[in-house]
Amino acid sequence: MALMKSKSRDGLARMVALAAISTALASLALSCAKAPPEKQVIVLGFDGMDYEFTRRLMRQGRMPNFSKVAAVGVFGPLATSVPPQSPVAWSDFMTGMDSGGHGIFDFVHRDPDTMQPYLSTSKTEGSERAIEIGKYKFPLAGGEVKLLRHGTPFWELLEDNGVESHIYRMPANFPPSGSATIELSGMGTPDILGTPGTFSFYTSDIFVNERQISGGEIHALDFWDNRAEGRLSGPENPFLRRRQKLSVDFTLHVDPEAPVAKLVVGDEQRILAVGEWSDWVPIEFEMIPTQVLPAMGRFYLKSLRPEVELYVSPLQIDPMNPALPISTPENFSKKLARRTGRFYTQGMPEDTKALTGGIFSHEEFLRQAKITGDEILDQYEFVLDDFDGGLLFYYFGNLDLISHMMFRSTDPGHPAYDPERDPENLKVIEATYEAFDRIVGYTLDNMPENAKLVVMSDHGFASWRRSFHLNNWLIENGYMVVKNPDKVGGTNIYSNVDWSRTRAYGLGLNGLYLNIEGRESKGIVPASERDELIAEISRKLLAEIDPKTGEPAVTRMYELEETYEGPYLGIGPDLQVGYNKGTRCSFQSAIGDLTDEVISDNMDEWSGDHCMDHTKVPGILLTNRELVRPARSLKELGGSILAEFGIGWSETAAGG
Amino acid sequence: MTWINAALRVGFDIVLAPFSGMPDMVGLAVVALVCSIGMLWVFKRTSNQDALAAIKSQIHAGLFEIRLFNDDLPAIFRAQTQILKANARYLWHTLPPMLWIIVPFFFVVAQLQFHYGFAGLAPGDSAILTVRLSEGAEELGKEGKPSAALELPAGLVVEVGPVWAPALREMSWRIGAEKFGDYRAAVTFGDDEIEKSVVVNEEITRLSPNRVAKGFLAELIYPAEPPFETTEGIESVEITYPDREVNFFGWRTHWLIAFFILTIGFAFLLRTPMGVTI
Repeated sequence: MALMKSKSRDGLARMVALAAISTALASLALSCAKAPPEKQVIVLGFDGMDYEFTRRLMRQGRMPNFSKVAAVGVFGPLATSVPPQSPVAWSDFMTGMDSGGHGIFDFVHRDPDTMQPYLSTSKTEGSERAIEIGKYKFPLAGGEVKLLRHGTPFWELLEDNGVESHIYRMPANFPPSGSATIELSGMGTPDILGTPGTFSFYTSDIFVNERQISGGEIHALDFWDNRAEGRLSGPENPFLRRRQKLSVDFTLHVDPEAPVAKLVVGDEQRILAVGEWSDWVPIEFEMIPTQVLPAMGRFYLKSLRPEVELYVSPLQIDPMNPALPISTPENFSKKLARRTGRFYTQGMPEDTKALTGGIFSHEEFLRQAKITGDEILDQYEFVLDDFDGGLLFYYFGNLDLISHMMFRSTDPGHPAYDPERDPENLKVIEATYEAFDRIVGYTLDNMPENAKLVVMSDHGFASWRRSFHLNNWLIENGYMVVKNPDKVGGTNIYSNVDWSRTRAYGLGLNGLYLNIEGRESKGIVPASERDELIAEISRKLLAEIDPKTGEPAVTRMYELEETYEGPYLGIGPDLQVGYNKGTRCSFQSAIGDLTDEVISDNMDEWSGDHCMDHTKVPGILLTNRELVRPARSLKELGGSILAEFGIGWSETAAGG
Repeated sequence: MTWINAALRVGFDIVLAPFSGMPDMVGLAVVALVCSIGMLWVFKRTSNQDALAAIKSQIHAGLFEIRLFNDDLPAIFRAQTQILKANARYLWHTLPPMLWIIVPFFFVVAQLQFHYGFAGLAPGDSAILTVRLSEGAEELGKEGKPSAALELPAGLVVEVGPVWAPALREMSWRIGAEKFGDYRAAVTFGDDEIEKSVVVNEEITRLSPNRVAKGFLAELIYPAEPPFETTEGIESVEITYPDREVNFFGWRTHWLIAFFILTIGFAFLLRTPMGVTI
């Protein structure tokens, strides 16, 4: 007994000693983990902030925080990518490489076997192996979402060197790279259907046909006895052998007298007055009795009388229970949503398609854009408060899409300029710049004392007056041949193209490809004639004069091998077209459609753009102190941020 | 039912009041501990402890036999058959105490659900307040929208409504919470005047999502607020509170899961000191 007591006393002593050592080690580890790193860098990414526009407002004293920072630091233009498209530009920034290195040349690339376009930044693949029982199939492995952007993002090098990086909504980073301490995916994140964003519009108007429009679907509502019933569409059910879309029914109970209604979706209910937006409504699509697909949507009650009209936002990946990976660590989106409420997870949430499709008025679009902007701003306050060192990157996309929809207001020479409405729209753009200035002010007031602040944008903006139908130009100049010359206009995705006689085709907002033998499935141009053809087309495009303005339509042509370097040149277009400021590739031509003319006035609501000659749409760079290693271009900026921490690009990265 | 619920409400309010400002797990752990002690006490007195001990010995013997004669297939099958039979006898002997425990346990769970299952509103939150008519009372809405009024105290506002949904037999308002408080909303519907509690509070407190008309089943399911008398056929007055999750050692989960784990854990820890064979 005495021995036992002695043993247990020894054991107790050992345990106490062990506990003390463990506690000391834990405290040490904790204190090491908590100690703020020496360097703190905050990078604010303001998508689409234009250098000239910013400078004008600064001169007018309307961006006092920018002016304050510029007075003690650096403010200037930041050279953008070739072409100046957001996924390309942000990929240049994060990898320090051009498209040849990271493999993103445009929003869309083409499959040379099928000649069909696909999203350039990510790809979703279902499970190939499944067990089939009756009408069901049970996948043996989960599907996969692949990030198609290559290269090492600069924050990976920071992490390798022990510097924490918090990367919020970096474009072209879906699914998240997994290499940062915290990541939330941004531009490129799809809605629950896997599209960039597909809204639904429901109407009781019996004369409106159910149909798909660009970026949306129009559905009929069954309306009787003050009750409207509709169905929300989800993606295809992966558990069924036969292709069948998931769906959830909803009911709108319309008050017989007042302009109010009660919405019931599953277990959720909301009361909405006409003109009101709901908060996020969780939605569950039942795939099989034990499996649901979580999603969420916002409902906007547009009208109740004479017709019931209900807009439903693109159904989103629910951050509380994400169906696809949208953050690092995977449960971070849930943590964020718990703190700040559910939020748009879709990459570009401002619903420009609802405006261009005539579903939203300008006021309704601005209201929706404000909802998205407010969510991102609310989260920023939480994120900045939580930041205690290392690198914080936070992206704001609101300005880009508002500028796309309203930039003609800066240009009375725009063919669709409306002297009644556009002066008000100009105020909206200016107010957005001023709001971004306040974000800088808020950051200055709340960031760690010695932190370095970097404010940057990926490109600038220009009024988009003239649409260049590249594929029609190719037809007119004999490079593309159609099967039926009487039906040139109104065809879609090369459906009328005679590939056996076509030598070049346009795809994407700046891309021009040659139909090369052995590369394209129906290629006819021998590889030996490629250089000559490139030179010929470049020369002709540079000589093309817009008959309305008398100015060149194209001011710069970029040849693949001369512009880019790296292992992914094979994906890229043979030529990138640098349109003159004010001219851009038409939407039709960008996806392989044909029209009746070569250059036309842009009368679309989408009236501002930047997919032009890259030298004419620079972004901005603002820092509160000189950078250790100055940056003149997006491609250099990632390296400059690394240099702030005393780190250089690795040999695998071409940056710098 | 009304009196039982009233007594339970008072009892649980008193027991849980000291923990209202504390982390969720504190009050839940205390209730789980008391429940474990109570269940063990009932189990000891309502079960045949000697028989249970004997059955457990037989199960152990069977397991030991399998271990000893693991190369003798007939012996293993025989032992397994004995274990299965012993298990069936064990379940039979635990049935009486379970029957004794299940009724009070149901009342405890029902009360806890209204403390831990819902979160109070926060200032800035919206909620839907709904008056539901019982089946057969649709006559009220036959002539159009029935007349109804909602009176709210300062601290709560009507944001939108009311919406009359005849198909659901419901009249609903969206109300907004402006500041913390324990409020009474007054609904006038025909000749009925009914009050409904609305709580704007972040602490753990009793929340009643549904105040029901007098009736055994309805009161059994919704015991958190006294029932009301109705002449207009009103079935219930509801308010939508958000669901609450409890923080169970860093794992956010439904309170019932945490409660069961705690109760079972305490019961296992206390069975020897209390001399109970389970």
